Amino acid sequence: MRTPGVLGVMLPAVRDGASLNQALDLGYRQVLLERGSLLALVGPLAGAARRGIAIFVNLDAVEGLAPDSAALAFLATDLGFSGVLSVKPHLLKDASRFRLRTIQRIHALDSTGLETGLHSLVSPAPYAIAIAPGVAIPQVMPIIRSITNTPIWGTGFISSAEQAGAVLHAGAALVSSARLEVWRDFSRTPVS
Amino acid sequence: MATRTTVTPGRPRAVDGSLSRLLEAFGRVPVAAVIRRGEELPRALASQVPVVFFLRAPAFHLGPLVWAVQARGKLAFVHIDLIAGLGKDRAGIAFLAREIGVNGIITSHSGLVAAARAEKVIAVQRLLLYDDLALPSALSALDHARPDIVEVLPGVIFPLVVNEIRSRLPLPIIVGGFVTEPAHRDAALQRGALAISTSTTELWP
Repeated sequence: MRTPGVLGVMLPAVRDGASLNQALDLGYRQVLLERGSLLALVGPLAGAARRGIAIFVNLDAVEGLAPDSAALAFLATDLGFSGVLSVKPHLLKDASRFRLRTIQRIHALDSTGLETGLHSLVSPAPYAIAIAPGVAIPQVMPIIRSITNTPIWGTGFISSAEQAGAVLHAGAALVSSARLEVWRDFSRTPVS
Repeated sequence: MATRTTVTPGRPRAVDGSLSRLLEAFGRVPVAAVIRRGEELPRALASQVPVVFFLRAPAFHLGPLVWAVQARGKLAFVHIDLIAGLGKDRAGIAFLAREIGVNGIITSHSGLVAAARAEKVIAVQRLLLYDDLALPSALSALDHARPDIVEVLPGVIFPLVVNEIRSRLPLPIIVGGFVTEPAHRDAALQRGALAISTSTTELWP
């Protein structure tokens, strides 16, 4: 894979060109399009990808893209994006064929749902597992680690630096937040 | 502060006496036992919990389980989204209501709330809190569907959003999802939840 991967522990969740620029102004070289539309994707985000920014897309929440091979080929080949997130195993399997990094989203809403998700991990193994809501990670990390050692990302309801810190302390490799204040707090910490 | 009575929905109820019975039962013991496997049922039957939620029930072998619950004076709810073999539609709910005689159904889908109302069973709609960006649209959907009760998951998020939910939805709230410790239960009840739902048997009084 020649596209850039993730560096550091914060992945700003953006929805359009304006929030993308706020993240880039803070020095971030990676973003997640967590909500938004195809227009944001072909416009500002495509431009950022050309300048070497790592772009990840939540396929379950971005409007205007079909969950199929044509969409994945476009993201990988035409736009040079780094990876995709989805709850759908078949879509991630397809994405890995296009050399996109695959991040399997798993909802941590109750123990039954979490265990079902963890027992449907895709093959080849995902680049990471994104647990939503990320704030639940301190409580559910023992369940996760009893099943898999794949790196864990936390997304959803991470609205303060303290929450982000607690999620990382619990063993997450990375957290994603849509809050500018959280990006600011983390932009001061050195990126490895 | 009589939060548990003031949050009762004001619109006319299609449901028979079940809803007031449910609210009254939770007033005494604010816990619903979540049954994930059949072998957990005897313990719930022997406990003081007034309500049983069947999470992954076998649709066509459900009758005896539901009737055992009701024979103990408890109310039985079935999670229709996760049930194998049953259509997630009006006819599926009609089967649960008329053939099995469940007291209510649990679903994440607004469309099934109206079907439950038409079949005169209590509708518990799940509010799935996995993403703060999705919360406003989820609240709008619930406000529109107007279930009898909202089940908020996971429990750890409830304190973060309780004010936003309450300002939008004047409905009784059950808190579930990783409610595994007495502290989780107390945090939910202290913030005005009607009850908790849990599969942790230690929390079944």
